[in-house]
Amino acid sequence: MQNQFSADVDLLPVLAWTALPDGTIDYVNRSWCEYTGTSRDNARGTSLESLLHPDDAEALAGCRCALSDAGGSHECEVRLRRHDGVHRWFQVRFVPQQDAEGHLLKWFGVGTDVENLRGTNALSARTGDEMELKQSQAFLAKTQRLSHTGTLAWRLRTDEIIWSEELYRIYELNPGVKLTHELINTRIHPEDIPLHDEMVQRQRSDVRGYSSEHRLLMPDGRVKYLHLVAHVMEDEHGDPEYIAAVQDVTERRLADEALDKARAELAHVARVASLGALAAAIAHEVNQPLAGIITNASTCLRMLATEPPNIDGARETARRTIRDGNRAAEVIKRLRAMFANKELETEPVDLNEAAREVIAMLLGELQQAGVVVQAEFMQGLSRVRGDRVQLQQVIVNLIRNASDAMHSVTERARWLRVGTCMDGEDWVRLVVRDNGDGFDPRDAERIFQAFHTTKPHGTGIGLSVSRSIIEAHGGRIWAFTNEGQGACFTFTVPAWTENGASPASPIGSA
Amino acid sequence: MEGSPLVAVIDDDESVRESLPDLLRECGYRVEAFACGEAFLDSEYLDVTQCLILDIAMPGMSGPDLQRELQKRGRTTPVIFITGHGGAADRQQLMREGAVDCLIKPFNDADLLRALAIALL
Repeated sequence: MQNQFSADVDLLPVLAWTALPDGTIDYVNRSWCEYTGTSRDNARGTSLESLLHPDDAEALAGCRCALSDAGGSHECEVRLRRHDGVHRWFQVRFVPQQDAEGHLLKWFGVGTDVENLRGTNALSARTGDEMELKQSQAFLAKTQRLSHTGTLAWRLRTDEIIWSEELYRIYELNPGVKLTHELINTRIHPEDIPLHDEMVQRQRSDVRGYSSEHRLLMPDGRVKYLHLVAHVMEDEHGDPEYIAAVQDVTERRLADEALDKARAELAHVARVASLGALAAAIAHEVNQPLAGIITNASTCLRMLATEPPNIDGARETARRTIRDGNRAAEVIKRLRAMFANKELETEPVDLNEAAREVIAMLLGELQQAGVVVQAEFMQGLSRVRGDRVQLQQVIVNLIRNASDAMHSVTERARWLRVGTCMDGEDWVRLVVRDNGDGFDPRDAERIFQAFHTTKPHGTGIGLSVSRSIIEAHGGRIWAFTNEGQGACFTFTVPAWTENGASPASPIGSA
Repeated sequence: MEGSPLVAVIDDDESVRESLPDLLRECGYRVEAFACGEAFLDSEYLDVTQCLILDIAMPGMSGPDLQRELQKRGRTTPVIFITGHGGAADRQQLMREGAVDCLIKPFNDADLLRALAIALL
């Protein structure tokens, strides 16, 4: 009978044991041996407490006390250590065997593995693999943090949204706060809300994986870029649920943007600066034949001045003079052909923005020159019709001139004001003022002529090129001396109109 | 002409190579013209040239390169630079490094002849 009992108990898929009143185990079944990895002989003499998770000692002790006091069977849930060291949850039931007087003779114990039952609620409840889970959760949290990637679950049936800790951190919301689409929208960049809302609506009705990029706007004005990839899963009720990875890609996007901006600026600076380089190249190309012309002419004069005059020699050098003159003319012709192909690119240009870019470009050299720049740009300035790069070349010229004009100023602060305003409805005006030495008012017209310069190393080309650019735009450029100190250079160009019609004439031109 | 100073003109520009020797010969100098510094270094005139009129920017060896090469070989032949680029800073630098003068093209004959006279003092 005993043997039969033992054989039957061995077949039970539960841990079964008997213990003396003090808890010393005197019998265990096969499942016990398999679970704990000990033999029956070795199990004998031990106690249930030897397998118990330290945190559950109280629960077991409480259970035993209740049992001693009240009798009958009692049960509790405790974690028991498996042969590999992992603790699993067991529902343990004790049944006392008593004699006629009610003295405790033995305990019958049965432990049922309830680990998997509890495991379904793993995220919220303490589970048998708590340590393991905690570890993997910690690892996951670390990974999410390192990769700036959070995860979210969105259950469509209940509209319930669950975020990982990292996602709360990315959105900078307090962990555990109740998530709603309305709350999330308070963080989405206002410009991206319409698209985001539309996406949420679409994903509700058309359930399939999606991805998106949108921005967040933090209360302090910082902008974050998020990249989201979502897949459809089924929750435990078989209802669709989106599981998504959301990565904070701000750093990458900012780096991309900075790179794009630097590239565009570089190309732009090269184009604006090319005017100076072009002037130097023209000078070199023309100077070579000019050197020949002057030398030949000198030689020719000398040959004619000898006694008797060297007529043959003079004739030969005169011929070479003509040849070199033609060469110089050829250079100019080539240049003219180069520019003739270039039609004025007309597009709507925001003069404020164009001037702002020029100031940014020149800021380094202006600071070195000790010049303080003040921008006085009119809000709501009309855009102008023109070639952005050429207009910027003019602005570069005016600003550099103003800066140079203040070179000798030492007894007062050097300031330079760049301003824009409307000139009536049809014209846009840009003004560059300085407090430098100014110029003789009688020179107000002459300074725009080619090769007129007041600067020690000036070419006299800048203002004449500026004038031809502004006139090609149908505008006007002029200068006057300030009443206090310095000069004021102004140009007006036509405001942009859809039909491209030119206004009659600039108002207020000098 | 025999016994008058020998001047070498080294310039990659043909009109300079033709006009300058004409002028200098007219003024009594003996002149040899070369299209590059390498040709001058290989020539028989290397040892007997008393002054160099040297273009700065040339393909291959530049004017200052040739001057340094000559200094390395222990030669103190005076050099007058001529250039189509008018960089004032470069000019100062070249003068500091031992050039007699640096003339910016186009230059007038009087300036060149004055520099040459100083070089041959």
